[in-house]
This record gives sequence, C-alpha cells and structure tokens, in this order.
Amino acid sequence: MEGPDTEAEVRLEVNRHVRTLCTSGDAVEVIETLKLLTCYLCDGSNTEFSETLMKEFNRVHYTRILKFLTSNLQADWLQRLNASQHRELWDRFFLSGPPDQAMLVLMDCIGTLSQSSGQDKVVDVLELYLQAGRLAVLLWTRCQGSNSSESPQLREMLLGRLVSLPDITANHLHPHNRPLFLPDHYYPLLAREINCTLEKTCRALRGGQDCSLGFVAQLLGKTCIQGHSKLLFRELAPRLCSSTRSDMVWQRVCWRLMENVPERWMESVVVGLVQAVDGPDALSRIMGNLVVKNKKAQFVVTHKLLLLQYKCESRVLRSLLGYLARDRERRPLLAQVLRALCQAWSSSSAVKHTPLEQQLYLSRCLLLCVGLLDDRELEELRADLRQCMLGGIQCRLDSAVVRIRRIGMVVGECLSSRLDAGGAQLKFEYDHDEETRDLLSMMDPHVSEEAVPSEDTVPADRPANRPAEQKESARSPGRPGSPLSSSAEQDPAGDAGSGSELDSDDELAPYDMSADREMPTAAPPRYLRDCLEALMSSKDAARVELSLRAAEGLVRRNVSAAREVGVELSKVLVHLEDSYCIPDFLALRRGAMVALVVTDTVPVVEFLTTEFYAVNYSLRQRLDVLEVLALSAQELSQPITEQGRPPRGAQPTNAVIPLAQNAPPLHWRQVVEQRIQSKTRRFAKGAASPTVTAAPNRYAPLAGFFFFPLLRNYDRPQVTFDLMGSDHLVLGRLVHTLGLLTHLAVNAPVATQMGKALLDFVWAVRYHSDQVVRQGVLFAVCAVFLTMPAQHLLPELSDLVPETRAWLADMVEGDSDADCRSLAAQALALLERGLRASLEIPAEAPQA
Amino acid sequence: MHYAVGDRHQCCCVLPVMASPPPDPQFVLRGSGAAVNTLHFSCGTSDPPLLFSGSAKGTIHQWNLTTRRPERTLDGHSGASVIWLKTLGSRETLISQGRDSRVCTWDLAEGRSAVTDSIRTGSVGFCQCSLLETGLCSRLLAHPVETMDEVKVIDFPSGTAVCSLKPDARLGMVMCTKLWQPDSGRGPLLLVGYEAGTLALWDVAQRQPLSTLVAHSEPLLCLDFDPERLRGASGSAERAVCSWTLDGQQNLQMAVSVELVNPGISQLSLRADRKLLASAGWDHRVRLFGWKKLKPLAVLQYHTDSVLSVAFSDHADPRLRLMAAGSKDQRISIWSVYNEG
Repeated sequence: MEGPDTEAEVRLEVNRHVRTLCTSGDAVEVIETLKLLTCYLCDGSNTEFSETLMKEFNRVHYTRILKFLTSNLQADWLQRLNASQHRELWDRFFLSGPPDQAMLVLMDCIGTLSQSSGQDKVVDVLELYLQAGRLAVLLWTRCQGSNSSESPQLREMLLGRLVSLPDITANHLHPHNRPLFLPDHYYPLLAREINCTLEKTCRALRGGQDCSLGFVAQLLGKTCIQGHSKLLFRELAPRLCSSTRSDMVWQRVCWRLMENVPERWMESVVVGLVQAVDGPDALSRIMGNLVVKNKKAQFVVTHKLLLLQYKCESRVLRSLLGYLARDRERRPLLAQVLRALCQAWSSSSAVKHTPLEQQLYLSRCLLLCVGLLDDRELEELRADLRQCMLGGIQCRLDSAVVRIRRIGMVVGECLSSRLDAGGAQLKFEYDHDEETRDLLSMMDPHVSEEAVPSEDTVPADRPANRPAEQKESARSPGRPGSPLSSSAEQDPAGDAGSGSELDSDDELAPYDMSADREMPTAAPPRYLRDCLEALMSSKDAARVELSLRAAEGLVRRNVSAAREVGVELSKVLVHLEDSYCIPDFLALRRGAMVALVVTDTVPVVEFLTTEFYAVNYSLRQRLDVLEVLALSAQELSQPITEQGRPPRGAQPTNAVIPLAQNAPPLHWRQVVEQRIQSKTRRFAKGAASPTVTAAPNRYAPLAGFFFFPLLRNYDRPQVTFDLMGSDHLVLGRLVHTLGLLTHLAVNAPVATQMGKALLDFVWAVRYHSDQVVRQGVLFAVCAVFLTMPAQHLLPELSDLVPETRAWLADMVEGDSDADCRSLAAQALALLERGLRASLEIPAEAPQA
Repeated sequence: MHYAVGDRHQCCCVLPVMASPPPDPQFVLRGSGAAVNTLHFSCGTSDPPLLFSGSAKGTIHQWNLTTRRPERTLDGHSGASVIWLKTLGSRETLISQGRDSRVCTWDLAEGRSAVTDSIRTGSVGFCQCSLLETGLCSRLLAHPVETMDEVKVIDFPSGTAVCSLKPDARLGMVMCTKLWQPDSGRGPLLLVGYEAGTLALWDVAQRQPLSTLVAHSEPLLCLDFDPERLRGASGSAERAVCSWTLDGQQNLQMAVSVELVNPGISQLSLRADRKLLASAGWDHRVRLFGWKKLKPLAVLQYHTDSVLSVAFSDHADPRLRLMAAGSKDQRISIWSVYNEG
C-alpha cells in the first residue's frame, strides 16, 4: 500500500481542493474541483485511498463540502449542470458520504432555507436519501460500535432529527411537503429500516462480529415517547414476530434491543409493543424476560397497564397476561398481579369511586389471570382469592347500578367455579348480554393462541392484509360449533328439497304473532267490589289475573265506588305479590294504583305516604309507592282543558315517565335523560321561549299532600328500613320523586315552599357516596331551579348561592359518574340563568 | 279482549322491526242479527262482488261488497240455522242447507228470491254438505242423513240417490264432508270426517272406503282438500291443525301438525291459489298458515266470540282478493291479506 508520504500528500490535496471550493468564484474551476473530490466518497468504487484517509476525509472535510454545496444553491455553476452532472456532482455527495452527516446537513438546510428552487433541490435530495435506504446505512454504522467516541450532543441531535423529521419538514415546507415525509409514511419506513438493521446485526453476530444496539434502541425509545409508537410498531411488530419465530439469534437481538431502551423511554416502548403484538407467544419472543430485568418495564406491565389505566383491548390483555404466564421466571409476577388485582377488585371504595369501564377492565384482568394460573398456584392464592371474591361480590351486590351488580355476579361465579371446582359453587341469576359473555370468555385463556399460527401463513411483506386475515382465521377455529349449527340449519331445507315441493312458504312473510296468547277461561269481574274480593282472597290464578287486568278500568269507570273502597284497594294492591307470574304484573298493578290515586286523591295519597315510612314493607314496595305517586302526580297535572282549546305553554308534564317497567333502572335513566333533554331545549331557547301560560290543573292544589308527608320521616331509621343508611336506592328514588313532584307543581303557589324544603333536604345528602343518590339530588336541584319563580329563588338561596355554585362546579369536574357530571353542568347553567333572571326583574320593576 | 289489544300495542313497541303488527280488518259487516254460521263469496265476473252469509236464526244475507250493505235477506229455513251456502254457476242460483233438515235451491235472478226446490236430508246435525260439478249440468251432492253416521250422495238437482256410504266400524257421527274429482280419471272420491277423529276416503263409484286415518283424538270438525297436491288439512276440538297427504295407492298419511295456542277449529279454508290456509278458531281468532308447510303466518284478532266460518273470495284479480270471517258475535270481518302476488 501507499506510504505515509502519499497519505500526507493526498491530505494536502484535499485540503487544497476544499479551500479552492470555498474561495473560488469561477464555475468551471468549482465543477472541476468537485469532480476531483467525488473520488474520495466512500461508495466502494475507489480503493486507491487508505482507510485512515477516508476516515479523515469523512471526519474533517465531508461536512464542509456539503455545507459549501448547500450554501451555493443559487450559484451560477449549479444552474449550469445538466441532469447527469447534477446527479453525479450534487446528489452523489449527499447519498454516498457518511449518512449521519448528510442527514444533519440536509435537515439544517430545510430548517434555514425559505421557499425557493434551492429548497426544492434539498428536499429532492432528502427524498432520494430516504428512498435509497440511507437510513438503514446510518443505523448500521451506528451499530458497528465505531462511533463510541462521538459526543452525546451529536448523538442527541441526530436522534432528534431522525425522529422529528416529519415535524420539521411539515413546519418548513407546509404546502409543499412530500408524501414520504408524512408520519404515515415516514415512521413505517423508519420501522422497515430498523428491521433491516436488526437483520444485518443478526448476520454480523453469526459472523462473530460485535454490534451495539444502543442507538437503534434509543431511536425506538425516542420515536415512541413522541407518540409514534403505533405507526412504528404496526410495521415493526409483525416483522419481529415472524423473524423471531424460529431464530434464536433474532430473539436475542430483540431482547437486547428492548433492554437497551433507555429507562425514560421504556414505558412508551413497552406500551406500544404490547398493543401491537398479537398473542402471548410473540410477545414473549420479542420481550424476553424484560419484565424481570427492568423495574420500569415491570411496573408498566404488572401495574400501570392493569391497575392504573384501562385502555387496552381484551386482545392486548390476553397477550400481556399470557406473556407473564409463559415463562417460569415470570410466573411469580402473575401471582403478584393477581394479588394486586384482587385487592383492587375487592375494595369497596373503588367500586364507588372508579368509573364503571375501569371496573369492567379490572374484572376482565382478574378473570384472565385466574384462567391462566394452574391449580397448584391457585391453591397458594386461595385465601387471597376467597377474600377478594367475598368482599368484592358483597360491595358490588350492594350497588344500585345494574351493570356493577352483574359484573359482581359474573366474576363471583367464575372465581368460585375455579376455586371450588368440585364443591359447592356460587350461582347467580342474571340475564346474559354482550358484557357478561365477554367477561365469561375471559376465563378461557386459549382463544387467542389459535390466532398465532395463522401468522405463519401471512408473508411478512404484506402487512396491510394482516389484521383482516388474522381476524378471520381466528374466528373460524374459535367456534367449533358453527359448522355444526349451520349444517343443522341446512338440514330441514334439504328435507324440503327432497319432497315434491321445491318452493316453501318463505315468500309469505309472517306477521307478528306475539299477541297470540291463551284465552282466559273465566269472565273478568264486573264490579269493583268483586275485583277487590278476588284480589284479596282468591286462590284462583286466572281470576286474580282477570281482576288485576280489570281493576284500572273499573276504578276509572266507577268513580263513586272507587272512592268507597279506595284506601282498602290501595292496601291490597301494595301488598299484592306476583304469585302467579302474571305477565306485565307490575304495569297492571301500577296502572290500577295510579287510577286509584287519581280518582280518590287525598285519602289514598295520605295512605301511601304514611305507608312509605311504615315498617314491614320491602324496598320494592316502597319504590312502587314512590313511582305510583310520581305517575299520578303527573296525570293530575295535565291541564284541565275546555273542549277545543289545546293546552299551551310551559307544562312540565310533557316528558315524564313512559310506562315501561320491566327494567326499573333503565327506565329511571330514561326519565332523567328525557328530563335533561326537555330542559336543554328550554334553556337553549333562553328567555325567548314561548309565552308561559299556566293552565289550571288538578295537581296544583293537592301538591302539598303528595310532597310534605314524604319529607317528614326520612331521618327516623327503623329496623327494616334505614333511608339515610344502607338503603341508598330508595333514597335516590325518593329524592328524584320529590324533585318530580316539585317540578310538576310549577306555577302553583306552593312551589316556592316545596322548593325550599327540598333544597334543605338534599343539602344533607349532596355528597352521598352512591351515584344514584347523587343523580337524584342533582335532578331535584335542577327541578327546583326550574320550578321556583325567579324572584323567589335569589332570596331563598341567598346564603347558599356561592356554596351551591362551588358544589356544582366540583361535581362537574370531579364526579366519577358521567351522568352526574352532565346533570351538574345542567344544574349550574340553570342556576346561572335563574340568578340572571332574578337580577333583571328588579331592574325592570321601576319602569313598569 | 280489551286488554289483549293493549298488550299487542305494547309488544309492538318492544319488538324490533322485523315482524310487522298483524293487520286490522278492512271493514266489518254488522247487522246479521245472529251468529254467522257460514259465508260464501260470489265475486267472479259480474259486478258488484257479493257475499252471502247464513245466520243462526235461519236468514241468509246478501251483502254488496262495494257498498258494504246488505242487499237482501232470504228467509226460507223457518228459523233453523243456515249452515251451508253455495252459488251455482252464476250467482242466480243459490243452494242453502239449514238445520231444518232441508237443502233449498233459490232462484235469485232478476230480483226474485224464491225457493224453487227443496230436498229433505233428514239430518239435524251440523255437518255441511259438499257439492261437486261432474258435468255441465250434472252435479253430485254429498249430505248427511238421519242416521247420523251415514253420508248419502245424490244427483243434484234431481235428487236421485247415487249411493249411501256407511262405515263398518263405529266412527260416530259424520262431522264434515268433501267431495272431489281426482285427475286420474276415476270416479269421484269423498273425504269424510267422523266424530271419532277419523278421516275416511270413500270411492263413490265402488261404494268402498279406500283408506282411513286417525287424524285426531277429538271429533274432526272441519277439513279442506287440495286435489292438485293431494293434500288436505283438518281441524278438531284439539289444539292442532293437521295436514295429511294421499299417496299413489290412495292411502291417507299424516304429514305435518301445527300446535295452536287455544283449542278448537270451526272451519278451515284454503285459498284458491293454494298458498294460504285460514282457520276459524273458537278462541275468537283467525289464523293464517302457509299451505306448503303449514307455517304460521298471522293471528288476526278482531272478533269477541268464536269465529264460526272463514272464506276466501273468488276475485279474478288476485290483488282484490278478500277473506271473510263470520263469528258468533254476529259480525263479519273482511280482511285483505297476502294479496301481493
């Protein structure tokens, strides 16, 4: 080879060329010099220079030459180059030299240049740079471990440029940005280049060469922390999955890569990866025992994703927990996770204060965990699990929200079936829906595994088709019953085909035949007293049913008879039990009771309001009483109209309570929603709502009979009934009913007193721990704000206004229940409106 | 009944849109003054379409379906229930069977309404006659006779006895008959339903029973037969409608049976296009079935007492086809169902 003398000579020559470039203004000379310089570029063709010389050139001169090129974008000589010369002299400099320096120079350029043809040139080159796979070269040079001496600042800068290339280009090129620079294209490209680099690393390792994955890991981390993990891993994860399937070196490389991710970026990388990888096996191959080695990853996987957040889909949870269960070293973590989940699931304050979605998520995790553990491990955890099961079920069954109760029942059943496989198991009665089926499916840990083998068949270079195909293949083996059932469906059709008739009756669409019931054998009672008699003493199911069905009509037709037996019949109806499984029993009984209240108001209302607080009633009966009172108040408050004149104006009654009683909580929710809607409309119209003409109705003079007795005894607990204690559901409904009764009394003189009393009452329970009560309270407050005349609202509320406002604002911000939050916002808006109205009235008064 | 209607509406609210609620009657004819035992349409070619109804007090009403009013009332059975009506050829001759054990022939041409002929059957039961046109002017009439378990086939209108068919086994009273002519060219056949629930197929020419089938365990109250497909359906006091077929060897065989909610079928009627079977139920409801598989299609509720009779109109245009149901509540409801094709 050449001696040091030649080397020094060449060095001098390069120096001279560079100096010429910087100082010369002559185009021909510049072009000549550039041509001379290209032979120093390290794209393999030139072997005449030694390696040290090349390094020297790359280290000292390359950047200067690029800087020179980019600072002379408008120079004459540049314009004079033809296409091939341009490619040779200009593009080649950027595409053949050390890729990191080229990258930095190009990004700097884009950052500093304003829109011009020069900028276009730079952008062209950058695009070429990306398309030519220079990123992989860049990453690979970093893997070779030769850059250990470089400054951390340079490293940071390069990382920053690489990760935020889409941002930088978008900021500077705004309308002229290239599609390749958009995040949707760039990050997948980056992912492919990373994959390439890892592949090269694998090859080098097999050849006995050392590699460092530090830079790639940092790049991964930085991309993820900036929020591009989804785009990145969507491309990268399937490739890693398939590469690591049988190749141990690949697996080691992946593990190494994950371990090398800096601590501060670990979380986002793990979260991104976990969400992108399908199936515990794949995750296990890619992550290795990272959770055991790295505290941060352990925290994220075993704690943050499971207990603090609730964003992962079931699929992700399956692969996450399956991953923990896959390895002997990670298995203890699963037990630890189960303990933590148990603790969280059984906490009664969590039931009250966390959103329902999170509870559902937690339950899913818990069931998955239990499904994954084997019997021996369960044996060790039995005590914890039992504790969790009993505590958790207890506090969920106490809840007033149906979905929470149902979660409790499903999880309880599953846990007990796993704990006492042979012995007595818990069994609850509940209706299955999407949610419960989803929860039950969590107990079967093997569903997702069937999805994994299908990956083999999918070529790694067709990432776009992956998800759909996987879903399909996961679905078809997932349900072994489906081919059977479909063939069973075809069978009768086949039978018909073998018969003489080819066509069937299908051309005639059947009508709804649900009303086709059995005929009653007895005749319905004709007199109210017969009806009463039958309901009181008959043991004949048909007769009781007929009497119950006839009761409402009889009461409404025979007003005087109904008045004679009103209280007595009410008593019978309140105590009537559905011993014969009469369809629509609740609706029929309610209808009859409402008819009684409407016909014989004062005595029956007096009876019902007294009985509400009496001993020896079930909660169900008390709730029924409340509902009957609300419904009859609503009916009574229909305006009394003369013939031909339709009622106008602000009647509060238009939106209250349709008679659908099979699912009381739902019904209640509907009512709340409808109320809100009616109010929203009202509020949106503001002061310009249609003129309020109050029509006389039957309820206004009687409102007090309904309202005040219900308020009388709430704080006197009895043996069987403790309104302020454990019976939240009744309290919630009571408050709601009181709100309704107040609202129905709009325009009545007594409304002011009612509103005042109601506000006093609800003040004590405004921070109740049960959301049903809070909803009721907020509804009642809304009702009061709507009902009380504006000029009375301010004087009555004057002390409370700031506090009320603070309370409502607090609810809007921090309540765990979404309904409560929106109701509180509504109440706040109503309050503001009321206050504004009450301040305006005195101002207008002098003018009048 | 009131509540049942209410229930239906509630169900409609809950159900998804897949099944539409059953239709209401198109119109209702009131004023027959007694239970409507039998119905017969005459809507063929000449205008206006007519409906004849026979009542329990012996009167026959002729309803104009365009004006929806009774056009005339015929009273010829001296107060005894009219249980069967049939027009001959055009609408100018009407045959009526009454429980005064007479079959009367009416001349209704040019506004006349006179009984021109009357045949004494001797039967005081509920069994309806069955008429078969065997030639241009020759007809056969099968009618029950005094000795309840026998069917007599006579030539109509001459009244000449053709044969008398009496089973050897004790099958009880004759409940219903259906006379029909097979395509194969042999003599007319007669289907008879007996009180024991047995169905018998007689060869009129041979005076021989060809086949019997125990179709029901209760008295067989009504039947209808489709000579084209060689299939029939029968109803009884049970909770079921049965269909049976006739195989190549003239053997009756059970086919499908449909369970009903309430027991008792007064009449079965097959629409002329053989797509629809209607049943008149003791439970006040008319049920519709697809004829091919007896698939339940609709339950029509209007009447407040047993439905005694159901009939399909013989409109030439299928879109105008009507169905009439006559009930013990003295009303006739007219429906328009499955008329699209």
